[in-house]
Amino acid sequence: MLLADDFPDLPPDRRAEVVRFIERRAVTLPSFTRFGVFVIGALYRMLMAAPGGGRIACTLAARPIPIVGDYPRLVRSLGYAYIWDRWPDTTSTGGRR
Amino acid sequence: MTIVPATPRMDADVLVIGSGAGGATTAAVLAEAGLDVLVVEEGEWIEQGSIVPFSLEQMDRQYRAGGVTVALGLPSIAYTEGRCAGGGTEINSGLYRRPPADVIERWTRDFDIADLDYDEVVSIAGDVEEALDVGVVPGPSTAPSDVLRRGAERLGWQHSEIPRWMKYTNGGSGQRQSMTRTYLPRAMAAGARIATGCRIDSLEMGGRTARSASTTLPDGRRGTIRFGDVFVCGGAIQSPALLQRSRIDGPIGRSLAVHPTVKLAARFADELNVPDDVAVHQVKEFAPELSFGGSASQPGLVALALSDQWATFSKAITDWRRISLYYAAITSEGRGRVRTVRGLHDPIVTYGLTRRDRALLGSGLARLTLLMLEAGAEEVYPSFRGAPIVRAPKDVATMNGSFSASKASVMTVHLCSTIPMGQDRAQCGADSFGRVHGTDNVWVNDASLLPTAPGVNPQGTVMALAIRNARRFAASGRHRG
Repeated sequence: MLLADDFPDLPPDRRAEVVRFIERRAVTLPSFTRFGVFVIGALYRMLMAAPGGGRIACTLAARPIPIVGDYPRLVRSLGYAYIWDRWPDTTSTGGRR
Repeated sequence: MTIVPATPRMDADVLVIGSGAGGATTAAVLAEAGLDVLVVEEGEWIEQGSIVPFSLEQMDRQYRAGGVTVALGLPSIAYTEGRCAGGGTEINSGLYRRPPADVIERWTRDFDIADLDYDEVVSIAGDVEEALDVGVVPGPSTAPSDVLRRGAERLGWQHSEIPRWMKYTNGGSGQRQSMTRTYLPRAMAAGARIATGCRIDSLEMGGRTARSASTTLPDGRRGTIRFGDVFVCGGAIQSPALLQRSRIDGPIGRSLAVHPTVKLAARFADELNVPDDVAVHQVKEFAPELSFGGSASQPGLVALALSDQWATFSKAITDWRRISLYYAAITSEGRGRVRTVRGLHDPIVTYGLTRRDRALLGSGLARLTLLMLEAGAEEVYPSFRGAPIVRAPKDVATMNGSFSASKASVMTVHLCSTIPMGQDRAQCGADSFGRVHGTDNVWVNDASLLPTAPGVNPQGTVMALAIRNARRFAASGRHRG
């Protein structure tokens, strides 16, 4: 969801690859960070399942909430790094050039 | 090469845990002194050149947790640790600084370090420089490096090219003289064995003496290593964590020191990005409090640097070839902690910046921005939430006004001081030669020993002190006859 908001033109196959990469990385995070990412991730998924929750989730992710806000930021940053590491000529909205 | 498979039962006179700047030098000195040395490394041995430097693949294979490690705090500080044969020396910038005289003098005085003779340290540093082919880049430096030189010259600020441990061939690119190229082969040539992919879970203590180490092998089986002495060289996070898991008490893991950095991306008229290398110039006009240098600028890392303010910075990403990343590093008065928690595989790391640190990060970013503009940057993108695009010096005040450290992406690569060395037991976890206070045969010999952050790239200092301590151990005659 966070990636979809930033990269509306990212092709589905690439989006799936980015998500797989983030999932793979999440498993190797240090114990405490991994726990935080999973807890915050679960809360975000619950929020997004609620009516209008998607917008609230994106707003919260953009806020500098101490420590708690670091987890979605961490996951989000992995996606950014992967996209341009793997496909350097991607447009700013995630499209192919 | 004597890379041995890790087995459930191993033994050695001396066990060295970790193979980075501290572990590799320790192993080489002790093996060359005729001792039976076993080096155990948690990561794999990966040949240089088989992975693109600073790529995500390198982070996957040579960094702990894929490079996603964080010291929690306000703000949290991202840091990286090597997890491979050679440790951090395989993945860092390769920039070399001699141990600073004033720092060694201050450590000796403030931490009551016995027999720390600066002339001896300099002599060892000379040996290290020869072994690592330390020198400046032959010919012109890269465009991102030249940005630092040009900006500093226009502002009248002090700057210099930092030597690297790199061997250059005629017309070819440089070959990093990391530990897998230098001290580990030396250690193995002298008879040391190295086992990779093996984690040390804890040391089994009997009173003041460590009897054995409990291991987890690559296939998940558990094992034991018996030894006479053990050198813990896992770096400033893993070394205190191991001692804590082994129930060794003292000031261990309570005084983590780092050089916090803030970054920016700067866009220029011409293409300048060098994805697989970093700038060799540093600006030291405001040292030791502040120093400026270049960061790895692989396109994924450029995207990461722009992501804090993606709504306004995102369009720049398609110009990544004209963008390079730079940092402002500070000497911090803050301190961090490394704590192990029963049941958790990894330690919890925290770090607290002081008010002065926060102000220094802000002024550092502002000055770095000015430097970039003087060097000809068309646009500067500071890495903090809410940052404006800076196009002219008059915008810097606006940027500085909206900066706060808690909105910034603060990072560090230099971690140290979690087991400071010295005779002062109130603040030092190890004695003047690295033996852990309260133990007979547990030694630490890595960046953990540095009493404070040295204010410069620390690898040269870590290696010089590790060699000094290992030589002292070898001269003591333990394990002979």
